[in-house]
Amino acid sequence: MKSFLVLVFLCFVGLSVYSQNNEIKGIVVDINGVSLPGVSVIIKNSTKGTTTDFDGNFTISNINVGSTIVFSYMGYVTNEIVMNNLDFLKVTLIEDTEKLEEVIIIGYGSQKVSKISGSVSTVSKNSIEKLKPVRFEEALQGQAAGVNVISSGSPGSKPTVLIRGIPSYTGTDPLVVIDGVQLTMDDMNSLNPGDIESINVLKDAALSAIYGVKGGNGVIVVKTKSGKRDVKTTFSYDSYYGVQQVTNTINVLNAREYMVILNEASAATGAGVVFSNINNTVGTNWQKEVLVDAPIFSHSLTAQGGSHTTSYFISAGYLGQDGVVGGGNKSYFNRTNFSANFNTNLSDNLVFIANTSYANIKSSGLPENSISSVLSNALNFDPTVSPYDADGNFGISNTITQEIINPLAQIHNTYNYGNNNKITGKLELQYNVLKNLKVTSRLGYNYVDIYGKYFNPLVFYGVGHNSTNAHADLSPIVTTGSDGTRTSTHNRVGETKTNYFSYTYEIYGNYNFKINEDNSFETVLGMSLGKNQGENVTANAQDVPFNSWDYADVSSATGSSASQTAGSWQYIKRNLSYFTRINYDYKGKYLASFTGRVDGSTSFGKNNKFAFFPSVSLGWVLSNEKFFKSKIVNYLKLRGSYGTVGNDNISPQFSRISTFPKYNFNNVIVSGSTLQSIPNNNVSWENQVQYNIGFDIKIFSSKIALTADYFQKSVSDLLFNPTLSLYLGTPDYPASNIGKTKSYGTDISLTYKDTYGDNFGINSSLSFTKAINKVIQINNGDKFIWGAGYGIPWTTLTRFEQGFSPGYFYGYKTDGIFQNQNEIVSHATQDGAQPGDIRFVDINGDGKIDAQDRTKIGDPFPKFTVGWNLNLNFKNVDFSIFTYASIGGDIFRAYERNLNYTNRFAKTLTRWHGEGTSTIEPRVTFIDSNNNRRASDRYVEDGSFFKIKNIQLGYSLPLSLYKKSGFTKIRIYTQVKNAFTFTKYSGFDPEISSGVLDTGIDRGTYPQPRIVSAGINVKF
Amino acid sequence: MKLFKNIGLTGLFFFGIIACTNFVNYSAVENYEITADAYFQSPADYQAAVVGAYDPLQWLYMDVLIGDIASDNSLSGGESATDIIGIQDIDNMTQTPNNDVLTSLWKYLYEGINRVNYLEENKNKINFNGKEALYGEVYFLRAYYYFELVKFFGDVPLFTKARLVANDSGSLKRNPKSEVYAQIETDLKNAIKVLPTAQSQKGRVTKFAAQALLGKAYLFQDKFTEAAAMLENVMGVYSLASDYGSQFLKSGENGSESVFEIQYTNKSEWWDWQYLPQGTEGNFGIVHNGPRAFNGPIYASGWSFNVPVSDLYNSFETGDTRRDASILDIVAFANATGTTYAEGYKHTGYYNNKYIPRAGESSAQTELNYLTNYRAIRYADVLLMAAEAYNRSGNDAKALGYLNQVRRRAFGDTNHDITATGATLTQLIWDERNFELSMEGHRFFDLVRTGQAASKINGFIEGKNEVFPIPQQEVDISHLKQNSGY
Repeated sequence: MKSFLVLVFLCFVGLSVYSQNNEIKGIVVDINGVSLPGVSVIIKNSTKGTTTDFDGNFTISNINVGSTIVFSYMGYVTNEIVMNNLDFLKVTLIEDTEKLEEVIIIGYGSQKVSKISGSVSTVSKNSIEKLKPVRFEEALQGQAAGVNVISSGSPGSKPTVLIRGIPSYTGTDPLVVIDGVQLTMDDMNSLNPGDIESINVLKDAALSAIYGVKGGNGVIVVKTKSGKRDVKTTFSYDSYYGVQQVTNTINVLNAREYMVILNEASAATGAGVVFSNINNTVGTNWQKEVLVDAPIFSHSLTAQGGSHTTSYFISAGYLGQDGVVGGGNKSYFNRTNFSANFNTNLSDNLVFIANTSYANIKSSGLPENSISSVLSNALNFDPTVSPYDADGNFGISNTITQEIINPLAQIHNTYNYGNNNKITGKLELQYNVLKNLKVTSRLGYNYVDIYGKYFNPLVFYGVGHNSTNAHADLSPIVTTGSDGTRTSTHNRVGETKTNYFSYTYEIYGNYNFKINEDNSFETVLGMSLGKNQGENVTANAQDVPFNSWDYADVSSATGSSASQTAGSWQYIKRNLSYFTRINYDYKGKYLASFTGRVDGSTSFGKNNKFAFFPSVSLGWVLSNEKFFKSKIVNYLKLRGSYGTVGNDNISPQFSRISTFPKYNFNNVIVSGSTLQSIPNNNVSWENQVQYNIGFDIKIFSSKIALTADYFQKSVSDLLFNPTLSLYLGTPDYPASNIGKTKSYGTDISLTYKDTYGDNFGINSSLSFTKAINKVIQINNGDKFIWGAGYGIPWTTLTRFEQGFSPGYFYGYKTDGIFQNQNEIVSHATQDGAQPGDIRFVDINGDGKIDAQDRTKIGDPFPKFTVGWNLNLNFKNVDFSIFTYASIGGDIFRAYERNLNYTNRFAKTLTRWHGEGTSTIEPRVTFIDSNNNRRASDRYVEDGSFFKIKNIQLGYSLPLSLYKKSGFTKIRIYTQVKNAFTFTKYSGFDPEISSGVLDTGIDRGTYPQPRIVSAGINVKF
Repeated sequence: MKLFKNIGLTGLFFFGIIACTNFVNYSAVENYEITADAYFQSPADYQAAVVGAYDPLQWLYMDVLIGDIASDNSLSGGESATDIIGIQDIDNMTQTPNNDVLTSLWKYLYEGINRVNYLEENKNKINFNGKEALYGEVYFLRAYYYFELVKFFGDVPLFTKARLVANDSGSLKRNPKSEVYAQIETDLKNAIKVLPTAQSQKGRVTKFAAQALLGKAYLFQDKFTEAAAMLENVMGVYSLASDYGSQFLKSGENGSESVFEIQYTNKSEWWDWQYLPQGTEGNFGIVHNGPRAFNGPIYASGWSFNVPVSDLYNSFETGDTRRDASILDIVAFANATGTTYAEGYKHTGYYNNKYIPRAGESSAQTELNYLTNYRAIRYADVLLMAAEAYNRSGNDAKALGYLNQVRRRAFGDTNHDITATGATLTQLIWDERNFELSMEGHRFFDLVRTGQAASKINGFIEGKNEVFPIPQQEVDISHLKQNSGY
């Protein structure tokens, strides 16, 4: 900007001196044909020149043929043109992506990449535009080194995002900062990824410590698009339509196989056959019945531009995604977005910024990734049952009486609706006190209003089925007791209202100065004050008229007032923080940065209200040294950092009297009380110490760039709720700082960028992420904490245990199949085992198989992940492909229900049925006295996969075709997301996410569908 | 000058904010939460805390099932060999320290004790009329919880002064059974001193309930003289229901024979069942005993656990009305009524007719929410305990009197009166206990107490199975010594 002003001044001077009449006119446009205003146009080796006007036009007088004109514009490659004549001149400037990325947004400021000594991964707008994600986290997967993203296929659902491993037990979601406003990942379902300008992941303490106690899981800094000053409004419209499809199904038994296997299982117990005729049944493939091709479509319209004192970015978007499981009536995610970012000069040195973003999300869902999920039912339900009976009612199994139901009936009987309104934004004043001193005062806010409704109708899944609550004609079941009292079943409706509101007020100053030209300082000092609160009211009622969703509402329910209930909850959390940062560099060669933050939070015990989080980092740009002379290496920087960050993911603590206990006297329920929680006044921050060392290198004219980092994180005061002696009863024990974890690993990112001639460009990047996590110490009686589990009866599977990686699978090891009685006798005592049953390993060698023989049988987290991105441009055609590989993670197959009459899986066909017939698959029997289905490595599979996540082919129509219509760009493209998955895993999808200690348990996970779509981008 | 003004103003602002560090102080009332400091300020707070101390009684439904499944009366049943493994193991006498059912039981009993102790801790905060009598209920409850603990586990950690806090974790050792019994006796004696003989609310502990429990505690220690004397206090206070079976119906709840009954109701709502067992007031044990996939009159479907064996059914004398009141012959019933049902694991053809899902006795979460109270101490039990105590302390005449009261009700005549004496009578009283009390959760503990367990229970190992294993988790965390053999 400074040089621009100087140029204007020089032009002015220049114009006053010369007075010849040779004039040239022209226009400057970008590669898309969009005119560029404010471009400096100078005659080389002179002071003569001008700038382009609002429409990109320029006029230069007094010019001679043969002179060279230099066109330069910030962020674009400077173009020099020799004037052979004085005809109208059209000049195209090409964006200099390298220069654009030079400055990145970090906490409370921005910094030149070349001067950063911390570790950061960047995802550009370009990658997001190519990927078209529903949620922005998708764009981090495989593109940001050091970030591990595990996505789910369920529309709009939150993925697991791990920045450099799992150091904490109490949560791993990184902090998300959008335009300076602190938000959480839970808020990200409302962000339209099309509004994003850039994403920077702050990975090490040097950069994240300025967010102190919030920075422990890393920080994702998102900058949304904004307008430019002195630019005519440009409109952009993007739209695509796609079809989603599940490409992989699981092999289960067909009707005939099912009958054969059940007959054998029954015979094994000495009982007769179940099916006497196994020949004339047409079976049902339940997966085919519930998996549908579902549409996804998106529209987005933006306008951006600016006057001399104001700039703006306005966007409107709509995304509609239907679920592939069950279809769009019962499973959908529809999002409407409106955003407006304004930036205006109130006076010469006062800038006002208002960003406002509104989102509405309407959604409905079906049960997923649990024993009661639609997919679990589809896999386990009786294949001999028809979807509908002769009368058109849902088919019913006479033999399955527990939990498992006709999945089509389940879809039909599931009713819920969510409506989510969200306003997020900021009001910000920037006051330039001095040329180099800027004070920023910012109020960031986030208001969320969530309405939800569910309806549980009267349903019939067969007489005696434990999910049935009505007769076959859906009339309620009325029973009369021995004393004549009548009771009835009811349908139920519930409505819930939840509000979340958070604000953060921040004021800080940025002061940049130099000492002796060579010593540059950039400093920040500020404070922040934030409040976070939530509240909910819920009401439930019964007896909805006509047993119908159309009438389902608390207001319409006719149940007695005694059957109506209401509930509420609320929480409040406040933070108060002070922060500072000093960046120093000496001649751009030696870099140093110091960050400190003091944080206070309501979450912490009386004795530990405040804590200090410091960090330091150092960098050395070798390539700027005089002694460094290399023709190959253009740039080389070494970096190192050390610092602490925190985590305050716990609730405020106090001795709480609960009024939840109840008893009844005279058949009237009376409320009681008990002490429900016992505080820990010493509870404090989880302090995470991080080290990072790394380097950045660019070679061959910066065509190839490599960034590599090694990190280590250790937590010495891990927060978790201890498992105490059972004789303390069942109160809630407060979180305490009683454990240690350690994570370490490597992130590598390699990019290659080149152009061949004018028509062919290539851009490719590879990212590698490896993080190893270990729980060093659990000061708990038994040195572990149980994590997630599965099934009925509930089987806990994952553990957070001293000496192991977090969330590993715990169970029995198998050692083939007992072929005969002799093998059973010679093995350790294994109660109930018969020939054909699984032989479990006597891990502790005590001669008997019991719960003490359980051990580590798998680890759901990958050893490493690799993402590879390739973009090619040839003339008007662009092609991009993105692949992602996750290597070494295990999956536990938990969707196999294994009741006597539920369906089995195809491998059952290879079962043991006599000596020597199988060494893997146990016999089938209705009386599983050996408990073959206990949690064991039998269910653990290698979940490594390689996915072609995205392929896109685009074509930009030549400008000449539509130039006159006012359009400046028309591009059409076709895209395939989740195109191919290569894996040995036998389930739907090896990518299974639902919380860190619940990773890798496949209870019938929602697969990520293949999405084939076509779209258009238009600019005008 | 302007520069300095600006910097000065900015600085002032910062300092202003720094002053308000109480911004991050937190008070529980912001979330409408009651803190311990603000509690025990009125009699109502004490009343509520006592209700809280009764609450864990309702969580003990598995004790009742185990009392018969572990014995020779019934089999585990359920859906399959892996349905509630804890129960399956106990039926086979192969229970290990990793038994979820026993672990929960241990925790629930200690929660009851801690709730009582929290009242003890706050006993002297205020005074009010009726406080002493209220504490009588409290001490009874502690005795009840400790009694269950010694019956199941033998020596257990004993503490009475206050609710334990996190720092107490791992600090306790197992106290000898005798010390626990001594505390039970002390608590019940203190309760007897202050409890009223009648309570206006059904379900509350009375003086007689405390005396009956104390008599039982004596009997379990073979203190026959003390037992006889204590139980004598209860004689004549209650009367036997004329129709044996009627007392197990809804209409028989808190009836003339009821000395102490754990109260359940079907008035809990379906969402209360999300917090099992703490949230609900329904009896979760009942559905376990129900006939599988039942479709017929009178009863309702259940999970086919705790199925009585034919030996028990056949052991009753002809004319004993207690057989059909105690055991449902599902095959005969189905034939007579056209009922259909499914056979569960270890199907015997019999169901527990005392504690069984009955049509119309559940609501809201209809599958689970049964109102059936657990008749923890019945007068018939008191009579038989007294008979045994007198017999074993040398007063057979008294013993026969009480025993025959029970038999006359059962047979409806005096033709089945017993006249035997001495050791023969002892055995007859023990047998009578099972005719009278089978499928009510007493059998296993009676067999152990009377030394008959090894001869009656398949797989019972003497010197080991008299008590259940201490939960492994407790052994790991608290370093308690495991019971021998486990």
